[in-house]
Amino acid sequence: MNAKDRYQNRIELLQGTLDMLILKTLQWGSQHGYGIIQAIRTGSSDVLQVETGSLYPALHRLERQGWLTAEWKQTESNQRAKYYRLTPSGKKQLASEQARWTQLSSAIGQIMGPQGELS
Amino acid sequence: MSRRKRDLELQQELEAHLRMAVRDRMERGQTREEAHSAALAEFGNTLLVKEVTRDMWGWASLERLVQDCRYGIRLLRKNLGFTAVVVLTLALGIGANTAMYSVIQAALTPLAIPEADRVVVVWTENAKRDWHQFPASAPDYIDWKASGVFSSLGAMADAGFNLRLGDHTDRVNGLRVTSEFFTALAVPPRIGRVFQAEDLLPGHSQVAILTDALWHSRFNADPSVIGSSIVLDGRPHTVIGVLPKTFPTVGHEEMYAPFLFTADMAASRGSRSFQVVGRLREGVTLAAAQQRMSELERRLGTQYTDDTGDSVALQPMEDALGQDGRQLMVILFGAVGFVLLIACANIANLLLARGTSRRKEMALRVALGVGRWRLCRQLLTESLLLALLGGAVAIGPSLGAIRFITSFHLDELRNADLIALNPRVLVFNLALSFATGILFGLAPAWQAWKIDVSGAVKDASRSNTSGGNQRLRGLFVIGEVALTLILLVGAGLMLRSFEQQRSALPGYESHNVLTVRVALSEQQYAVPEKQIAFYERVTRAAQSLPGVVSASAVDELPASDNLHGTALRFPDRPDPRTEDLKLVLRNSVASGYFATMHIPLVRGRYLDETDTATSAPVAVIDEWTAKQNWPSQDVVGRSLKLGKNLPPRRIVGVVGNVDQGILVKLLKGQVGQVYLPLTQGPVPAMTLVLRTKVDPVALIPTIRKLVRGVDIDQPIFQVRTLDDMRSAGQASQRLVTSLLSSFAGVALLLAAIGIYGVIAFSVGQRTREFGIRMSLGARRLDVMNLVVGKGLLLAGAGIAVGLAGAYALTRLLSSLLYGVNPTDRVTFAAVTTLLAAVAIAASFMPAWRATRVDPVIALRCD
Repeated sequence: MNAKDRYQNRIELLQGTLDMLILKTLQWGSQHGYGIIQAIRTGSSDVLQVETGSLYPALHRLERQGWLTAEWKQTESNQRAKYYRLTPSGKKQLASEQARWTQLSSAIGQIMGPQGELS
Repeated sequence: MSRRKRDLELQQELEAHLRMAVRDRMERGQTREEAHSAALAEFGNTLLVKEVTRDMWGWASLERLVQDCRYGIRLLRKNLGFTAVVVLTLALGIGANTAMYSVIQAALTPLAIPEADRVVVVWTENAKRDWHQFPASAPDYIDWKASGVFSSLGAMADAGFNLRLGDHTDRVNGLRVTSEFFTALAVPPRIGRVFQAEDLLPGHSQVAILTDALWHSRFNADPSVIGSSIVLDGRPHTVIGVLPKTFPTVGHEEMYAPFLFTADMAASRGSRSFQVVGRLREGVTLAAAQQRMSELERRLGTQYTDDTGDSVALQPMEDALGQDGRQLMVILFGAVGFVLLIACANIANLLLARGTSRRKEMALRVALGVGRWRLCRQLLTESLLLALLGGAVAIGPSLGAIRFITSFHLDELRNADLIALNPRVLVFNLALSFATGILFGLAPAWQAWKIDVSGAVKDASRSNTSGGNQRLRGLFVIGEVALTLILLVGAGLMLRSFEQQRSALPGYESHNVLTVRVALSEQQYAVPEKQIAFYERVTRAAQSLPGVVSASAVDELPASDNLHGTALRFPDRPDPRTEDLKLVLRNSVASGYFATMHIPLVRGRYLDETDTATSAPVAVIDEWTAKQNWPSQDVVGRSLKLGKNLPPRRIVGVVGNVDQGILVKLLKGQVGQVYLPLTQGPVPAMTLVLRTKVDPVALIPTIRKLVRGVDIDQPIFQVRTLDDMRSAGQASQRLVTSLLSSFAGVALLLAAIGIYGVIAFSVGQRTREFGIRMSLGARRLDVMNLVVGKGLLLAGAGIAVGLAGAYALTRLLSSLLYGVNPTDRVTFAAVTTLLAAVAIAASFMPAWRATRVDPVIALRCD
């Protein structure tokens, strides 16, 4: 398996979840790619490390789907960066993903039960 | 947004990402260098990120195609020599196929008649007498008409007309047809009307219908020709209709006149003289019609014991018109297909060899993350580019080939006027180019798919891993050699057949003889005496022309395809059973015929002026007939009969055998020949033969004037020298021979290149091995044998496969071969030797190079 295939497989594994995480991150305002990675990492207490090879294809795909728009802006440190922002349809998509996720996680939670029961 | 701008933007986006990452790390206290390398490591492969991101843009596949094409074109331009060789090879292969397709699409153009599949030709058959597709007699026709199988059933017979316009008379080919012929075909006339039942009544039949071609060539496409009077065979006829341009033709007919049944015809079930065409009644399928007609014929067979065909065959008219050319087309299309396959194998081999030298490049690209599929697609794109280029260049050769094929004016090829590079043919050319590109592109693409990255990058210069490729290339060469052998055998057989024909002595001297056909109108020359008098007058006048040595006439020249066979009987022996009757060719000759043709007298005397209509019936036979029927006796003075109820004829002489032409040879092998004096067997249509002292062509105007002077209504036609006449019947053989020979030549060249390529390549690969062998004491001859042996091994395998294929396929040629068996051992052996010799020659160069290997350099060369 070559390098590209490996990347593509990872995107697939994460696809639904990564998209949801990106949309969620952008819920409170626009952000650039680097910022999104950082936000996901700090937001997950350093557990989720999104790779660039997964992030940028996802951003471009979401942009093509019309859920995100992008514009070039100055960062606080006065650098030019491409900022992504949710579109109205992106917000709707986030809402439905959110609902689906809540349903899914509670369903899985019921089956797996509280951790204590195992011991 | 343009692709370039988007690319730039992506680049900037990723750069910004990196910058931010570096800055963050520096803020956390790392040095610039540390921060930079850590950020890069975290970021991963920039190129790859770019590529997978670009994939999300959607139009990537089209983009890639353009990119692949660009890359391909650049590559082709870089290797101009390689490109030129491949494109030219393809142009020849695709061009030949395009030309053949043009011939086939013309021949397969459906007949322009409504529900053409319901129109059938009805043949009589007699398995016992080996009759197939025989014509019908009037009683047959009447019985069939009453069968209820056909909604209309028409009769047609070949006819020729002497058409006089102003003071000029010409021979026009035509058909005599009944009115049902037109209702069966159901094609309305262009102008005027077609025949009706009244036109076929005696006294009302002086009417004619013109084809569109004749209407244009002789009547200036003038619509007022309808109702006007023209002179046919010396009598006025009224033109009643002109047929549309698309009206199907059986032969070269340009005019139609009514077909009248005579009392003689109606009385004789055995005299089968015309063809029958019918349209099946509504709701009757071909199979049902065939069954009902077979039953009818069985019933008739019990009713009339003599002279019935024992069965009837219905054949769709479309098949009947196309059947002569079908075999020719199969042979030629097969041959051009082989050439293209050989070209494909050769190109695939070239590409494989090049692919091996590109292995490092490919492996690097794979290592850098280019997908295998992508790589294959790019290689296929390159192959397709080559093929399309070849297809475009092929237009030139295909035009040439079309012109070449049509120049033979083959009667077998239907709709010759439609043979052209029309849009349909161009679409075929494009599709074929595509298919060809994929065919020869598959092998190199597969090679790229199988590429072993680590092996190739580590060890690119000495590729031990290409063993699979070598085997594949070997297989291609074997296939090429096999196909080449089949083509060579085909060409060899045709050439042998030609040699046989040419060296066969005709039995007469064909040089400096002019032949001229005259067909007396049967209305103007109704009585035999008038016919005899006409020919006597003309030959006597021709004899005294300056430049003429002697002149005579015969009803059909030897090698003519119009044959009059008669069963031979003997007054002093019991009649044999019908199926055992011996067929002989019967010819009526004017006096002086044998001398004019230089046919030698073996015994007795020639026919001469003393044999008149009133003298005792006589005949001259050929040596073959004499030997067959009177093996050990003197023939002169014996008698024969040419019909059950005809008087015996005394044989007065025996003459040399005459070559009866390919048609008789193919049908019957050899048949005997009986000559009658014209005075005792008058025939209205004769061929004048003039032996000349000068170029016979120079005499044409003189003889035309002479015949015109005797009777203005009797035109001369089929004016040809006897030399031309002899070769005219061989047009399709000549076409097949010349095409097969040139295809075989091309194939041989390609096969030689293929063998050379593979052997040279393997020598290159084994340089080290040869170096070792020679340093261990192998002699040059040993190395040479090793290499040439490999070439021979490949060729031998190809030859074995090819021999089997040729053995199975040359049967197709059998009807075109004369005096040669389709599995002729001499040809097979000669071709095998030739191919083996070429294989040795092709491997000799690389073998010689192998012996020049300097062991020291060879061992160091890695």
